[in-house]
Amino acid sequence: MKNIPSSMRERKRYIAFEVLSAEKIDRSELINELWSSASSLLGDVGASSCNLWVLDFDGRRGILRCAHDKTAMVRAALATINRVHGTRAGIRVLGTSGTVKSVTEKFMRQVDYSKDTIN
Amino acid sequence: MPNYYDLNVHSSPECEDPPERLVSVAKRCGYTAIAITNHSNLWGEVTGEGVISGIEIVADKISGLRKQIGIYRPKVDVLLVHGGDPKINRAAVENSEVDILAHPSHYFNHILAKFAAENEVAIEFNLDEIIYARGVPRVRALSAFQRNLKIARKFDVSMTITSGARSQYDLRAPRELIALAGLFGMSEIEAVGALSETPWNIITRNRKKKRPGYVMDGVELL
Repeated sequence: MKNIPSSMRERKRYIAFEVLSAEKIDRSELINELWSSASSLLGDVGASSCNLWVLDFDGRRGILRCAHDKTAMVRAALATINRVHGTRAGIRVLGTSGTVKSVTEKFMRQVDYSKDTIN
Repeated sequence: MPNYYDLNVHSSPECEDPPERLVSVAKRCGYTAIAITNHSNLWGEVTGEGVISGIEIVADKISGLRKQIGIYRPKVDVLLVHGGDPKINRAAVENSEVDILAHPSHYFNHILAKFAAENEVAIEFNLDEIIYARGVPRVRALSAFQRNLKIARKFDVSMTITSGARSQYDLRAPRELIALAGLFGMSEIEAVGALSETPWNIITRNRKKKRPGYVMDGVELL
């Protein structure tokens, strides 16, 4: 199937995040927890419109993709995660950006909160 | 970027984590300082870098509440009252020695709001209910928050947002709390004020009162 032209693709935001947990967290468990807390907080309709996708997660830090106008909702959903597969955990957003490249450069190497915005 | 403060965090001996650990996590989240506000039945003095000394007074009777306020007021910079009971909520907002009425739940109305504005008692939006509850209890909490926000706006009551953290995993960065506050209709400006300006006003007001020679607002012995 042909790819959708770039002008017609949804706009996205990339969120860099860090997990603080007692034990190492598995990627698939984090994804399960993210989906369940997003659909619990925002409902099925709200969660579907967020377009959530976990791109990268190494057990501590990761990058998440979402719809560009839903970052505040996604932040709220991330904040409601308090346990992952029974392990106490908390998620901290390092920053948001419009491309994978810039989010990696800005937030994955060193954290600078002054560059982060709420939306 | 404003200086953020979380004014309701519980540490050891009440909970597991020592204050130093909570402070280091809070600093990484972007807070300037956090108030350690253990409940009065398990209270012990906590001081240190990045710590604001505080207490959350638990009382089931008004007389007990007044007595405890008298005991702890000179010792702490932030005094919270553990709300949720209609009588205790009322007694807390009527007392100008109280800084914050913590989680008033849905027992907050226009009369309490008038007293709170007059006595400069801030009301707390403790977001741990949104973070931990799921389903119906969370719906109830959100609707109570919506209602309290509407009343607080109308009577110009100062508002604070807190995480109510009981461990290092419960702390949430200011921006996450602002996003959560947006869920019940609080604007970004209000939420930033509730995490920075209001706490700062409370702390400076109380530290000023502790200075030797302080008589009343604007009057000091030199």
